Amino acid sequence: MKVRNIFFVLLMIFVVLVISIPTLLGAFGTIPPEHLRSIAKQYLFLSYNPYNKSLWSASPEVVAAIVWDYRGLDTLYETMVFYTAIIGALMLYSEILGSKDVIGGKGLSFIVKRGTAIVLLAILAVGISTVLHGMITPGGGFQGGAIMAVAPIVALIVFSRTFLDKSKLTYAHFISIRSLALLGVILAPLIPLISNAFIFQNQAKSLPIFQSPIFFTYPSTIIDVPMGGLIAILNIFEGIAVFSAFALAFMILLYSEELSRKPLEGEDIGY
Amino acid sequence: MFLVATISLYINIAVSMYGVIAKPNLVKKFIALTIVQDSINLMVIMMGYKLWREVLIQPPILLNWNPTPEALREFVNKAVDPLPQALVLTAIVIGLAVNIFLVSAILHLYRHFNTVNMDEISKIKREMIVGETA
Repeated sequence: MKVRNIFFVLLMIFVVLVISIPTLLGAFGTIPPEHLRSIAKQYLFLSYNPYNKSLWSASPEVVAAIVWDYRGLDTLYETMVFYTAIIGALMLYSEILGSKDVIGGKGLSFIVKRGTAIVLLAILAVGISTVLHGMITPGGGFQGGAIMAVAPIVALIVFSRTFLDKSKLTYAHFISIRSLALLGVILAPLIPLISNAFIFQNQAKSLPIFQSPIFFTYPSTIIDVPMGGLIAILNIFEGIAVFSAFALAFMILLYSEELSRKPLEGEDIGY
Repeated sequence: MFLVATISLYINIAVSMYGVIAKPNLVKKFIALTIVQDSINLMVIMMGYKLWREVLIQPPILLNWNPTPEALREFVNKAVDPLPQALVLTAIVIGLAVNIFLVSAILHLYRHFNTVNMDEISKIKREMIVGETA
Protein backbone atom coordinates (compact mmCIF):
# COMPACT_ATOMS: atom_id res chain seq x y z
CA MET A 1 0.00 0.00 0.00
CA LYS A 2 1.41 3.32 -1.05
CA VAL A 3 1.76 6.22 1.37
CA ARG A 4 -0.64 8.18 -0.81
CA ASN A 5 -3.43 5.62 -0.30
CA ILE A 6 -2.89 5.50 3.47
CA PHE A 7 -3.10 9.29 3.50
CA PHE A 8 -6.40 9.22 1.62
CA VAL A 9 -7.90 6.57 3.93
CA LEU A 10 -6.94 8.70 6.95
CA LEU A 11 -8.39 11.76 5.25
CA MET A 12 -11.71 9.97 4.64
CA ILE A 13 -11.92 8.81 8.26
CA PHE A 14 -11.13 12.36 9.36
CA VAL A 15 -13.91 13.82 7.18
CA VAL A 16 -16.47 11.32 8.51
CA LEU A 17 -15.44 12.04 12.11
CA VAL A 18 -15.49 15.81 11.62
CA ILE A 19 -19.13 15.68 10.51
CA SER A 20 -20.40 12.82 12.68
CA ILE A 21 -19.07 13.97 16.06
CA PRO A 22 -21.02 17.27 16.05
CA THR A 23 -24.08 15.35 14.82
CA LEU A 24 -23.81 12.86 17.67
CA LEU A 25 -23.29 15.74 20.12
CA GLY A 26 -26.58 17.23 18.97
CA ALA A 27 -25.59 19.91 16.45
CA PHE A 28 -28.68 19.16 14.36
CA GLY A 29 -30.94 18.60 17.37
CA THR A 30 -32.19 15.20 18.45
CA ILE A 31 -31.80 12.30 16.04
CA PRO A 32 -34.30 11.33 14.69
CA PRO A 33 -35.77 14.86 14.91
CA GLU A 34 -39.15 15.06 16.62
CA HIS A 35 -39.81 18.78 16.87
CA LEU A 36 -39.58 21.71 14.49
CA ARG A 37 -37.38 24.69 15.20
CA SER A 38 -39.43 27.69 16.27
CA ILE A 39 -38.40 29.71 13.21
CA ALA A 40 -39.82 26.97 10.99
CA LYS A 41 -43.06 27.11 12.97
CA GLN A 42 -43.21 30.87 12.41
CA TYR A 43 -42.71 30.49 8.67
CA LEU A 44 -45.38 27.77 8.46
CA PHE A 45 -47.85 29.70 10.58
CA LEU A 46 -47.44 33.11 8.92
CA SER A 47 -46.92 32.19 5.27
CA TYR A 48 -50.62 31.90 4.40
CA ASN A 49 -52.18 33.54 7.43
CA PRO A 50 -54.98 35.86 6.19
CA TYR A 51 -55.48 37.19 9.73
CA ASN A 52 -52.03 38.80 9.83
CA LYS A 53 -51.46 40.36 6.43
CA SER A 54 -48.58 42.51 7.64
CA LEU A 55 -46.44 39.35 7.90
CA TRP A 56 -47.91 36.99 5.33
CA SER A 57 -46.54 35.99 1.91
CA ALA A 58 -49.88 35.21 0.17
CA SER A 59 -48.59 31.78 -0.87
CA PRO A 60 -49.81 28.51 0.70
CA GLU A 61 -46.61 26.82 -0.59
CA VAL A 62 -44.18 27.73 2.16
CA VAL A 63 -41.04 26.79 0.23
CA ALA A 64 -42.03 29.13 -2.61
CA ALA A 65 -42.85 31.77 0.00
CA ILE A 66 -39.36 31.52 1.50
CA VAL A 67 -37.62 31.42 -1.87
CA TRP A 68 -39.35 34.45 -3.41
CA ASP A 69 -40.80 36.36 -0.49
CA TYR A 70 -39.12 36.03 2.89
CA ARG A 71 -35.69 35.54 1.29
CA GLY A 72 -36.44 37.12 -2.08
CA LEU A 73 -33.19 39.08 -2.33
CA ASP A 74 -31.19 35.87 -1.79
CA THR A 75 -32.94 34.38 -4.76
CA LEU A 76 -32.20 37.49 -6.84
CA TYR A 77 -28.47 37.02 -6.17
CA GLU A 78 -28.80 33.32 -6.88
CA THR A 79 -30.31 34.23 -10.24
CA MET A 80 -27.28 36.45 -10.84
CA VAL A 81 -24.89 33.57 -10.05
CA PHE A 82 -26.84 31.40 -12.43
CA TYR A 83 -26.67 34.10 -15.12
CA THR A 84 -22.92 34.50 -14.67
CA ALA A 85 -22.18 30.76 -14.76
CA ILE A 86 -23.99 30.37 -18.09
CA ILE A 87 -22.31 33.52 -19.46
CA GLY A 88 -18.97 31.96 -18.43
CA ALA A 89 -19.78 28.79 -20.35
CA LEU A 90 -20.80 30.84 -23.41
CA MET A 91 -17.63 32.95 -23.23
CA LEU A 92 -15.46 29.85 -23.71
CA TYR A 93 -17.02 29.47 -27.15
CA SER A 94 -17.60 33.14 -27.89
CA GLU A 95 -16.04 32.90 -31.36
CA ILE A 96 -18.55 30.42 -32.74
CA LEU A 97 -21.66 31.64 -30.93
CA GLY A 98 -24.57 31.87 -33.32
CA SER A 99 -22.72 30.46 -36.32
CA LYS A 100 -24.22 27.75 -38.50
CA ASP A 101 -22.81 24.27 -38.06
CA VAL A 102 -20.59 22.92 -40.84
CA ILE A 103 -22.07 19.42 -40.81
CA GLY A 104 -25.46 19.21 -42.50
CA GLY A 105 -27.27 16.59 -40.41
CA LYS A 106 -30.63 15.11 -41.35
CA GLY A 107 -31.75 14.03 -37.90
CA LEU A 108 -33.22 10.70 -36.90
CA SER A 109 -35.87 8.73 -38.78
CA PHE A 110 -39.35 9.98 -39.63
CA ILE A 111 -41.00 7.82 -36.95
CA VAL A 112 -38.74 9.16 -34.20
CA LYS A 113 -39.31 12.73 -35.38
CA ARG A 114 -43.11 12.43 -35.29
CA GLY A 115 -43.08 10.67 -31.92
CA THR A 116 -40.73 13.29 -30.47
CA ALA A 117 -42.87 16.14 -31.80
CA ILE A 118 -45.76 14.86 -29.67
CA VAL A 119 -43.57 14.22 -26.62
CA LEU A 120 -42.02 17.70 -26.87
CA LEU A 121 -45.45 19.29 -26.48
CA ALA A 122 -46.08 17.14 -23.41
CA ILE A 123 -42.71 18.13 -21.88
CA LEU A 124 -43.42 21.81 -22.45
CA ALA A 125 -46.93 21.45 -20.99
CA VAL A 126 -45.60 19.78 -17.82
CA GLY A 127 -42.94 22.47 -17.47
CA ILE A 128 -45.39 25.33 -17.96
CA SER A 129 -47.86 23.84 -15.49
CA THR A 130 -45.04 23.41 -12.93
CA VAL A 131 -44.13 27.09 -13.37
CA LEU A 132 -47.72 28.34 -13.15
CA HIS A 133 -48.58 26.25 -10.07
CA GLY A 134 -45.42 27.23 -8.22
CA MET A 135 -47.32 29.17 -5.56
CA ILE A 136 -49.79 26.43 -4.59
CA THR A 137 -47.95 23.13 -5.17
CA PRO A 138 -44.28 22.06 -5.07
CA GLY A 139 -42.62 23.52 -8.13
CA GLY A 140 -41.81 26.95 -9.41
CA GLY A 141 -39.72 28.85 -11.91
CA PHE A 142 -36.48 26.89 -11.55
CA GLN A 143 -38.03 23.45 -11.62
CA GLY A 144 -40.44 24.24 -14.43
CA GLY A 145 -37.70 25.93 -16.45
CA ALA A 146 -35.40 22.92 -16.00
CA ILE A 147 -38.21 20.58 -17.13
CA MET A 148 -38.93 22.74 -20.18
CA ALA A 149 -35.22 22.90 -21.04
CA VAL A 150 -35.30 19.17 -21.84
CA ALA A 151 -37.40 19.96 -24.92
CA PRO A 152 -34.79 21.94 -26.92
CA ILE A 153 -32.08 19.39 -26.07
CA VAL A 154 -34.18 16.49 -27.36
CA ALA A 155 -35.20 18.56 -30.36
CA LEU A 156 -31.55 19.36 -31.18
CA ILE A 157 -30.65 15.67 -31.15
CA VAL A 158 -33.71 14.32 -32.96
CA PHE A 159 -34.33 17.02 -35.57
CA SER A 160 -30.59 17.77 -36.05
CA ARG A 161 -28.81 21.07 -35.90
CA THR A 162 -29.66 21.97 -39.52
CA PHE A 163 -33.32 22.24 -38.53
CA LEU A 164 -32.42 24.82 -35.89
CA ASP A 165 -30.09 26.71 -38.22
CA LYS A 166 -32.85 26.96 -40.86
CA SER A 167 -35.51 28.03 -38.36
CA LYS A 168 -36.06 31.66 -37.43
CA LEU A 169 -35.09 30.93 -33.81
CA THR A 170 -31.49 32.06 -33.46
CA TYR A 171 -28.93 32.35 -30.72
CA ALA A 172 -29.62 36.08 -30.47
CA HIS A 173 -33.32 35.42 -29.82
CA PHE A 174 -32.53 33.16 -26.88
CA ILE A 175 -30.13 35.75 -25.44
CA SER A 176 -32.76 38.50 -25.75
CA ILE A 177 -35.53 36.35 -24.22
CA ARG A 178 -33.24 35.54 -21.34
CA SER A 179 -32.17 39.13 -20.73
CA LEU A 180 -35.78 40.36 -20.89
CA ALA A 181 -36.89 37.70 -18.41
CA LEU A 182 -34.11 38.67 -16.00
CA LEU A 183 -35.05 42.32 -16.41
CA GLY A 184 -38.59 41.28 -15.47
CA VAL A 185 -37.30 39.55 -12.33
CA ILE A 186 -35.60 42.80 -11.33
CA LEU A 187 -38.34 45.26 -12.34
CA ALA A 188 -41.49 43.40 -11.22
CA PRO A 189 -40.70 43.69 -7.47
CA LEU A 190 -39.99 47.44 -7.82
CA ILE A 191 -43.53 48.38 -8.95
CA PRO A 192 -45.34 47.86 -5.58
CA LEU A 193 -42.74 50.07 -3.92
CA ILE A 194 -44.91 53.10 -4.66
CA SER A 195 -47.91 51.11 -3.51
CA ASN A 196 -48.97 48.83 -0.69
CA ALA A 197 -46.09 46.30 -0.58
CA PHE A 198 -42.33 46.07 -0.19
CA ILE A 199 -39.59 45.01 -2.59
CA PHE A 200 -39.77 41.22 -3.02
CA GLN A 201 -42.46 41.01 -0.34
CA ASN A 202 -46.23 40.68 -0.41
CA GLN A 203 -46.53 41.96 3.14
CA ALA A 204 -48.92 44.91 3.47
CA LYS A 205 -47.60 48.22 4.73
CA SER A 206 -49.15 49.15 8.05
CA LEU A 207 -49.39 52.94 7.50
CA PRO A 208 -53.07 53.99 7.24
CA ILE A 209 -52.42 56.02 4.07
CA PHE A 210 -51.68 52.84 2.13
CA GLN A 211 -55.02 51.26 3.04
CA SER A 212 -56.97 53.24 0.40
CA PRO A 213 -57.86 51.24 -2.74
CA ILE A 214 -55.71 53.31 -5.12
CA PHE A 215 -52.63 51.66 -3.60
CA PHE A 216 -52.78 48.26 -5.25
CA THR A 217 -50.70 45.14 -4.64
CA TYR A 218 -50.23 42.15 -6.89
CA PRO A 219 -53.39 40.05 -6.55
CA SER A 220 -53.26 37.48 -3.77
CA THR A 221 -56.18 35.57 -5.29
CA ILE A 222 -57.70 35.33 -8.76
CA ILE A 223 -61.33 34.19 -8.47
CA ASP A 224 -60.74 31.94 -5.44
CA VAL A 225 -57.32 30.49 -6.32
CA PRO A 226 -54.32 31.80 -4.31
CA MET A 227 -51.94 33.55 -6.72
CA GLY A 228 -49.20 34.34 -4.25
CA GLY A 229 -49.11 37.96 -5.39
CA LEU A 230 -45.63 38.70 -6.72
CA ILE A 231 -44.51 35.05 -6.43
CA ALA A 232 -46.53 33.93 -9.47
CA ILE A 233 -45.07 36.70 -11.66
CA LEU A 234 -41.49 36.03 -10.54
CA ASN A 235 -41.97 32.30 -11.15
CA ILE A 236 -43.00 32.96 -14.75
CA PHE A 237 -40.00 35.23 -15.44
CA GLU A 238 -37.62 32.83 -13.73
CA GLY A 239 -39.03 29.88 -15.68
CA ILE A 240 -38.40 31.67 -18.98
CA ALA A 241 -34.89 32.70 -17.89
CA VAL A 242 -33.89 29.18 -16.79
CA PHE A 243 -35.39 27.61 -19.93
CA SER A 244 -33.49 29.92 -22.29
CA ALA A 245 -30.27 29.63 -20.27
CA PHE A 246 -30.19 25.83 -20.48
CA ALA A 247 -31.27 25.90 -24.13
CA LEU A 248 -28.34 28.24 -24.89
CA ALA A 249 -25.84 26.17 -22.93
CA PHE A 250 -26.78 22.97 -24.72
CA MET A 251 -26.84 24.67 -28.11
CA ILE A 252 -23.16 25.48 -27.49
CA LEU A 253 -22.23 22.08 -26.04
CA LEU A 254 -23.85 20.20 -28.94
CA TYR A 255 -21.92 21.91 -31.75
CA SER A 256 -20.05 19.51 -34.02
CA GLU A 257 -16.46 18.68 -33.09
CA GLU A 258 -15.12 20.35 -36.22
CA LEU A 259 -16.63 23.74 -35.38
CA SER A 260 -15.97 23.43 -31.64
CA ARG A 261 -12.23 23.22 -32.22
CA LYS A 262 -12.26 26.61 -33.94
CA PRO A 263 -11.97 28.71 -30.75
CA LEU A 264 -8.85 26.70 -29.86
CA GLU A 265 -6.96 27.69 -33.03
CA GLY A 266 -3.90 29.78 -32.30
CA GLU A 267 -3.72 28.57 -28.71
CA ASP A 268 -0.90 26.13 -29.47
CA ILE A 269 1.72 28.35 -27.85
CA GLY A 270 1.36 28.86 -24.14
CA TYR A 271 -1.48 27.18 -22.30
CA MET B 1 -31.82 3.35 11.99
CA PHE B 2 -32.03 7.08 11.28
CA LEU B 3 -28.56 7.49 12.81
CA VAL B 4 -27.13 4.73 10.59
CA ALA B 5 -28.64 6.44 7.52
CA THR B 6 -27.12 9.78 8.58
CA ILE B 7 -23.66 8.31 9.16
CA SER B 8 -23.79 6.43 5.86
CA LEU B 9 -24.53 9.76 4.19
CA TYR B 10 -21.36 11.17 5.78
CA ILE B 11 -19.35 8.22 4.52
CA ASN B 12 -20.82 8.95 1.09
CA ILE B 13 -19.57 12.54 1.34
CA ALA B 14 -16.10 11.35 2.40
CA VAL B 15 -15.83 8.81 -0.44
CA SER B 16 -16.90 11.34 -3.06
CA MET B 17 -14.43 13.89 -1.65
CA TYR B 18 -11.78 11.21 -2.11
CA GLY B 19 -12.96 10.96 -5.73
CA VAL B 20 -12.61 14.71 -6.25
CA ILE B 21 -9.11 14.82 -4.78
CA ALA B 22 -7.53 11.53 -5.77
CA LYS B 23 -8.83 10.67 -9.25
CA PRO B 24 -6.77 12.19 -12.06
CA ASN B 25 -9.58 11.87 -14.63
CA LEU B 26 -11.54 15.14 -14.86
CA VAL B 27 -14.82 13.41 -15.76
CA LYS B 28 -14.50 11.17 -12.69
CA LYS B 29 -13.72 14.23 -10.59
CA PHE B 30 -16.84 15.87 -11.97
CA ILE B 31 -19.04 12.83 -11.21
CA ALA B 32 -17.67 12.72 -7.65
CA LEU B 33 -18.40 16.44 -7.29
CA THR B 34 -22.05 15.94 -8.29
CA ILE B 35 -22.30 13.13 -5.71
CA VAL B 36 -20.90 15.49 -3.04
CA GLN B 37 -23.47 18.09 -4.01
CA ASP B 38 -26.36 15.65 -3.82
CA SER B 39 -25.18 14.10 -0.53
CA ILE B 40 -24.85 17.49 1.11
CA ASN B 41 -28.29 18.49 -0.17
CA LEU B 42 -29.73 15.29 1.28
CA MET B 43 -27.97 16.02 4.58
CA VAL B 44 -29.53 19.48 4.73
CA ILE B 45 -32.98 18.02 3.96
CA MET B 46 -32.49 15.47 6.76
CA MET B 47 -31.74 18.32 9.18
CA GLY B 48 -35.20 19.73 8.49
CA TYR B 49 -37.00 16.39 8.65
CA LYS B 50 -39.49 15.62 11.40
CA LEU B 51 -40.30 12.10 12.50
CA TRP B 52 -43.62 10.88 11.15
CA ARG B 53 -46.08 9.81 13.83
CA GLU B 54 -48.97 7.38 13.44
CA VAL B 55 -51.48 9.95 14.67
CA LEU B 56 -50.80 12.21 11.70
CA ILE B 57 -53.05 10.70 9.07
CA GLN B 58 -53.48 13.81 6.94
CA PRO B 59 -50.62 14.99 4.70
CA PRO B 60 -49.15 18.45 5.55
CA ILE B 61 -51.38 20.54 3.29
CA LEU B 62 -54.00 23.20 3.84
CA LEU B 63 -57.37 21.73 2.92
CA ASN B 64 -59.11 25.09 2.69
CA TRP B 65 -58.06 28.25 0.87
CA ASN B 66 -59.61 30.34 3.63
CA PRO B 67 -58.02 28.54 6.59
CA THR B 68 -59.25 29.00 10.14
CA PRO B 69 -56.58 29.67 12.82
CA GLU B 70 -57.10 26.09 14.10
CA ALA B 71 -56.42 24.67 10.63
CA LEU B 72 -53.23 26.76 10.44
CA ARG B 73 -52.03 25.48 13.82
CA GLU B 74 -52.74 21.91 12.77
CA PHE B 75 -50.80 22.53 9.54
CA VAL B 76 -47.80 23.74 11.58
CA ASN B 77 -47.91 20.53 13.65
CA LYS B 78 -47.95 18.31 10.55
CA ALA B 79 -45.41 20.00 8.28
CA VAL B 80 -41.64 19.58 8.18
CA ASP B 81 -39.14 22.47 8.24
CA PRO B 82 -39.47 24.40 4.93
CA LEU B 83 -36.27 26.44 5.29
CA PRO B 84 -33.74 23.67 4.43
CA GLN B 85 -35.89 22.71 1.46
CA ALA B 86 -35.82 26.28 0.15
CA LEU B 87 -32.03 26.44 0.64
CA VAL B 88 -31.56 23.10 -1.12
CA LEU B 89 -33.67 24.36 -4.01
CA THR B 90 -31.29 27.31 -4.32
CA ALA B 91 -28.26 25.04 -4.01
CA ILE B 92 -29.53 22.68 -6.71
CA VAL B 93 -30.04 25.47 -9.23
CA ILE B 94 -26.65 27.07 -8.58
CA GLY B 95 -25.09 23.59 -8.65
CA LEU B 96 -26.69 22.92 -12.01
CA ALA B 97 -25.34 26.16 -13.48
CA VAL B 98 -21.86 25.52 -12.09
CA ASN B 99 -22.02 21.95 -13.43
CA ILE B 100 -22.79 23.24 -16.91
CA PHE B 101 -19.83 25.61 -16.69
CA LEU B 102 -17.55 22.79 -15.49
CA VAL B 103 -18.73 20.46 -18.26
CA SER B 104 -17.95 23.06 -20.91
CA ALA B 105 -14.57 23.76 -19.31
CA ILE B 106 -13.74 20.02 -19.29
CA LEU B 107 -14.89 19.73 -22.90
CA HIS B 108 -12.68 22.69 -23.79
CA LEU B 109 -9.69 21.05 -22.05
CA TYR B 110 -10.34 17.77 -23.85
CA ARG B 111 -10.42 19.50 -27.22
CA HIS B 112 -7.21 21.33 -26.37
CA PHE B 113 -5.13 18.47 -24.94
CA ASN B 114 -6.93 15.40 -26.36
CA THR B 115 -7.10 13.95 -22.84
CA VAL B 116 -9.03 14.54 -19.63
CA ASN B 117 -6.34 13.08 -17.39
CA MET B 118 -4.92 15.81 -15.14
CA ASP B 119 -1.55 14.03 -14.79
CA GLU B 120 -1.08 13.87 -18.55
CA ILE B 121 -2.22 17.47 -18.98
CA SER B 122 0.35 18.71 -16.47
CA LYS B 123 3.01 16.53 -18.15
CA ILE B 124 2.21 18.08 -21.54
CA LYS B 125 2.34 21.55 -19.99
CA ARG B 126 5.68 20.83 -18.36
CA GLU B 127 7.15 19.58 -21.64
CA MET B 128 5.79 22.67 -23.37
CA ILE B 129 7.42 25.01 -20.84
CA VAL B 130 10.72 23.12 -21.04
CA GLY B 131 10.57 23.30 -24.86
CA GLU B 132 9.93 27.03 -24.80
CA THR B 133 12.73 27.84 -22.39
CA ALA B 134 15.31 25.58 -24.11
